[in-house]
Amino acid sequence: MATAPAEKRPPAKHVSLVVNGRAVELEIGSQPHQISPSHTLAHTLRETLGLTGTKVTCDNGACGTCTVLMDGAAILSCMTLTVECHGRSIISIEGLADGKTGKLDPLQQSFIDHTAFQCGFCTPGMIMSAKSLLLENPSPVEDEVKEALSGNFCRCISHYQVLRAVMAVAGKEA
Amino acid sequence: MRPFTHINARTVKQAVTALAQQNGAARLNAGGTDLFGLLKDEYLPAYPDMIVNIKTIAGLNYIKEDKNFLRIGALTRLADISKSSLLRQRYAVLADAAHSVATPQIRNVATLGGNLCQDVRCCYYRYPRHIGGPIQCARKGSGACLAVTGDNRNHAILGGKRCFAVCPSDTAVALTLYDARLLVVGPGGERQIAVGDFYTPLKNGLRSDEMVREIQIPRLPEVPQQTFLKFTLRKPIDFAVVSVAALVSQATGICTEARIALGAVAPGIVRADAAEKFLRGRPLTAETAAQAAELALADARPLSRNAYKINIATALVTRALLGQKECEIPPDEVKAYNPTELSTFHRCSSSTPPGYATVVESGTATP
Ligand SMILES: Cc1cc2nc3c(=O)[nH]c(=O)nc-3n(C[C@H](O)[C@H](O)[C@H](O)COP(=O)(O)OP(=O)(O)OC[C@H]3O[C@@H](n4cnc5c(N)ncnc54)[C@H](O)[C@@H]3O)c2cc1C
Ligand code: SF4
Ligand code: FES
Ligand code: FES
Repeated sequence: MATAPAEKRPPAKHVSLVVNGRAVELEIGSQPHQISPSHTLAHTLRETLGLTGTKVTCDNGACGTCTVLMDGAAILSCMTLTVECHGRSIISIEGLADGKTGKLDPLQQSFIDHTAFQCGFCTPGMIMSAKSLLLENPSPVEDEVKEALSGNFCRCISHYQVLRAVMAVAGKEA
Repeated sequence: MRPFTHINARTVKQAVTALAQQNGAARLNAGGTDLFGLLKDEYLPAYPDMIVNIKTIAGLNYIKEDKNFLRIGALTRLADISKSSLLRQRYAVLADAAHSVATPQIRNVATLGGNLCQDVRCCYYRYPRHIGGPIQCARKGSGACLAVTGDNRNHAILGGKRCFAVCPSDTAVALTLYDARLLVVGPGGERQIAVGDFYTPLKNGLRSDEMVREIQIPRLPEVPQQTFLKFTLRKPIDFAVVSVAALVSQATGICTEARIALGAVAPGIVRADAAEKFLRGRPLTAETAAQAAELALADARPLSRNAYKINIATALVTRALLGQKECEIPPDEVKAYNPTELSTFHRCSSSTPPGYATVVESGTATP
């Protein structure tokens, strides 16, 4: 039996957003290639767009590993619905390096230079939180860095090195 | 998350109409930081059919002062509240309370309306489906309260009845101190509810088809001395073990006004009427502050494992009245009430962001 002609179906709804500078248009629906209204941004980034740099740990808002920038502000992609990102600009860890030259963002380089991670699982979230701080305040004091990173947990106790790495980018050695 | 229908509401009317049509099966989504906990853990017996996004309603994000009220739109984000210079100057307790909530990422999306309407954090109530829940209890309408005989370290010491879960909202403490009220819209029109009356032991005062549109604080004639203190086990992220807000006005050394609000000690936010009355007309000294604190906790009836909260609350009320920002409490003092129950580290936060005051921490381990 023939399937219902396409015209009979309600027109597919879309969500349009910009991810790491590139326009992305996603169809909303329940087909495998579509975005379900219940998909989180973290799920879409990792499973639909293949951007697995963003990590999911608690999937409940409590650890910060899934942090990305939405219009410049740090938010939790595990607590955000993709369908509610229409018209937004998202930057994930993959969007920090220079797209043409591949040169790392100063924060990324500083994390490497200061060995600011061990297992590295929390690192993308840490860097995105630090990025959002530096976008708003390029020259933070130590307390401001601690405050900005207070929503990012690290199981490996790399916080001390993280603080040094961020302060170095801010032009201050911690 | 399991599937649901999703709509973007453009007006408050659309949102409450959808709620009414779904007859209890729809939920509003503001910042989502509490709602997704429910959707992911499926801790309630029923899963919502529909999620109504209210971020798409224009014009509900504002902080403004007119002749009679300070008005805050329900969709105003906690980050904006904590950074508002108007609030920092005149309603600092609300700015501090908003700043003490969760983490920077959460405050960037969480709204004041959502913070006030968030669900309780009782560990039985929130027990996730994917690890064997949901657990039934009085709040879910079947069975008894499990906290009474179980782990009640974080539960109420005042005013509990059938359910002993405490109001988890920090901003509600500030708003109760200011005698604020909520402007609530339903299909039949608008009504007002005082934040102090909003929380009752089994639920908050909203009907399933109502939405909070605005938070209204009666204008403070002057800027009184005001302090918000929150005791938590870790500084960021944690909910309050106890939080206290106090406000004092004095003339010629005598209190003309004194208000005390306590959070995380009861199903709602508690105003310490007897203590407030005691202070009015008296000088504010270390001694009267301590007496007022005793009065504020006089009616406390702790459960089996949470008497330690009385001790913490008494200390915080005394300090808040005196305008002391420090909320460190020596573990020895807490132990007197609670020998084994607090976990390894005691830390507490004066919630003021860097640059406003110093944050006090103590890392003293208990055995
Ligand atoms: C890790 C973590 C730590 C936290 N720590 C704290 C803390 O220390 N202190 C604290 O107070 N809170 C804390 N919270 C809770 C968090 O603050 C609240 O979840 C947040 O403020 C809720 O705002 P929201 O806009 O995200 O609400 P949502 O999740 O969108 O909504 C919460 C509930 O309120 C309803 N709702 C939302 N807006 C309205 C409205 N206008 N009218 C009627 N109903 C509405 C929703 O339907 C939902 O049921 C924490 C949460 C997490 C995940
Ligand atoms: S305190 Fe309330 S939510 Fe917790 S188990 Fe008892 S009835 Fe249920
Ligand atoms: S995975 Fe999003 S906060 Fe933990
Ligand atoms: S480096 Fe392992 S969790 Fe932070």
